[in-house]
Amino acid sequence: MSKKVGIVAGAISRFDNPRHTLQEEMCAEAVKMVLDDVPDLEIGDFIKKGYACCYSYFSDILEQQQCMHWIIHDYLGLSGVPAFRVESGGATPIDAIVNAALWIRSGMFPVVLVVGWEKMNELPIQKVNEAIAVAGDTDWDFVSGFTYNAFYATLETRRMHVYGETEEDLAEVAVLAHNNSLDNPYAQWPAQHGFSKITVEDVYKSRLISWPYRLLECAMTSEGASAMLLANEEMTKKLTDNPVWITGVGFGTDTMRPGDRPDNPAWKGLYPEDERIWPKEIPRPMSPYPDLTNFGSLRVAARMAYKDAGIKNPRKEISLVEIFDPYAGVVLAALEDFDFCKRGEGKKLLREGVIAPDGELPCQLSGALTAQGHAVGSTSIAQVVDVYWQLSNQIGKKWGAPGRQLSKPKRGFVHGHGGTGCQAGAVVLEV
Amino acid sequence: MKQPGPEKLLKEQKIDEEYWAKWEREGGWRPVGWKIVEMNDGPTLNELKPEQFMIVHRPHANFYHHSYGKVSKFFMGLLEGKLYGTKCPKCGLVYCPPRAHCYNPKCKLQETVWIELPKRGEVYSYTVMAIAWPSMAHLQPLVGAMVRIEGTNTCLPMTMRDIDPEKVNIGLKVNIHIEKKPRGDLLDVYATPAEEPKPPKRTPEELKRFKEDMEKTRAWVKKTFGTK
Ligand SMILES: [Zn+2]
Repeated sequence: MSKKVGIVAGAISRFDNPRHTLQEEMCAEAVKMVLDDVPDLEIGDFIKKGYACCYSYFSDILEQQQCMHWIIHDYLGLSGVPAFRVESGGATPIDAIVNAALWIRSGMFPVVLVVGWEKMNELPIQKVNEAIAVAGDTDWDFVSGFTYNAFYATLETRRMHVYGETEEDLAEVAVLAHNNSLDNPYAQWPAQHGFSKITVEDVYKSRLISWPYRLLECAMTSEGASAMLLANEEMTKKLTDNPVWITGVGFGTDTMRPGDRPDNPAWKGLYPEDERIWPKEIPRPMSPYPDLTNFGSLRVAARMAYKDAGIKNPRKEISLVEIFDPYAGVVLAALEDFDFCKRGEGKKLLREGVIAPDGELPCQLSGALTAQGHAVGSTSIAQVVDVYWQLSNQIGKKWGAPGRQLSKPKRGFVHGHGGTGCQAGAVVLEV
Repeated sequence: MKQPGPEKLLKEQKIDEEYWAKWEREGGWRPVGWKIVEMNDGPTLNELKPEQFMIVHRPHANFYHHSYGKVSKFFMGLLEGKLYGTKCPKCGLVYCPPRAHCYNPKCKLQETVWIELPKRGEVYSYTVMAIAWPSMAHLQPLVGAMVRIEGTNTCLPMTMRDIDPEKVNIGLKVNIHIEKKPRGDLLDVYATPAEEPKPPKRTPEELKRFKEDMEKTRAWVKKTFGTK
């Protein structure tokens, strides 16, 4: 049977903080938009025709609720229908999509509805940071006094030391993401801060969080939901005349604790071409790739997805990218781990405008985590939906901003990850 | 066959049972207050309308009784002012954080052995926290370092003291200390410089911004806690 998985429809209930609307209500808003876009689909079909649901939310602590997907599922009128929850920290929503695609490919389910959400405003912000940080090792990482801000900062400090990335590079990444979000009616940055462009100076004026990272270089904490309807080739063609295909999926992992990576015996020799790129003057760890500079899980996930999609030269064959960027420097690292350039050269793609909206490889068109927002369980689903709208020529309709529609993009790449890159997933979308 | 229990109590730092029981009872889900607000909402910024919401303030407290398992010796070591790691007898890798089983794929989860580690190491990477844990906010700006303890194949994250945040750098040799009154977690461990630090290269603008950031952070601490 065909391994093609189609995206029939996608929707977002916008990112903001607070939303005050309940999780099930935000999910219902997103699923309602999916139903509006697919007139031939009824909720009753799910039980009658053997469809399934895949739910994505991260934190039982933030929601103050375990098994929240049971509430969502019930609220949507889907009781009886097979349903699963996926949870893997920040990788949760991308893993939900990957899982849903694999269930369809298995032949078990012709149609799968993917729904993701998060509530992040119910605890005070320090406690939100704490709830997120307990995804780190609570005996060995979390109780060192480091939050994720601090861990990602140490990873970026390493990139600055080994590759010569600068504070200006980080600020430029933040400027790109924030200005990209200004036409996005689902984005949190314009909802809270208005519709004017920002500059590097504005980033420098934002408060220091954990050097080198400043507020505008860190993901927002958000509330919101999103939904996607995936189907096998036959059902996709029945349900829509404007499909986009998920032609590749991948996922990978790395150590729980970033401090274990430099000498991790499991990575030694895995990527010899990357191990060779190492400055002479800096002591060489046992496993120079990924070290603390790069994200090995992203590499594994990307190469798997490329192989699955038959992509030989990602830089040439991919038209647009959404990177999961809880911190600005992750964009530069990810460009390297995804083989868009050699390690250490992510900053070149930024400085040369390659990843700008009018560049050869536009990245973060939605605004991504620092500007569209980061309601964890919804984040990557929303990013995939944004890319799906670009590939299916719907940005004019869905954003109300026809000027932001790319001209005939062919292929999109979206990734997500959790922890400090402990787990990652990726998908290739194709018209 | 033999039964594993009961456990024998060897040593104990008692908790104030009454205080914590009260704390847990009070953090028991019933609202302690509420508010009603109006705000625009809708699925997109193009479809907003005013809505009213009721918000309750609902406490929820927990108290975990956690075993450190087979790596308990590390934390028992802290109580005696000693630093322990584990070593794999097959491949020789040294772990701190310790592992009871070696994760080298070649070693098939070989059990490791305990060794005492020197209280010396090197900064592998670092950050300067302007927002630290709430309980450590009075120490901001706080240097956090990934420290490679001498002879280990790992980095242990810890905070630093007696260091000018401007001067911390990758490669800095450090001494590792254990709190005089250890409480039994990783926060009992911290580092201080073991040599004169050589600061990282910064442009004049970067240096000016860094100094301003530190001043702002210290001013906030002084205003909030009245110290430093
Ligand atoms: Zn071994």
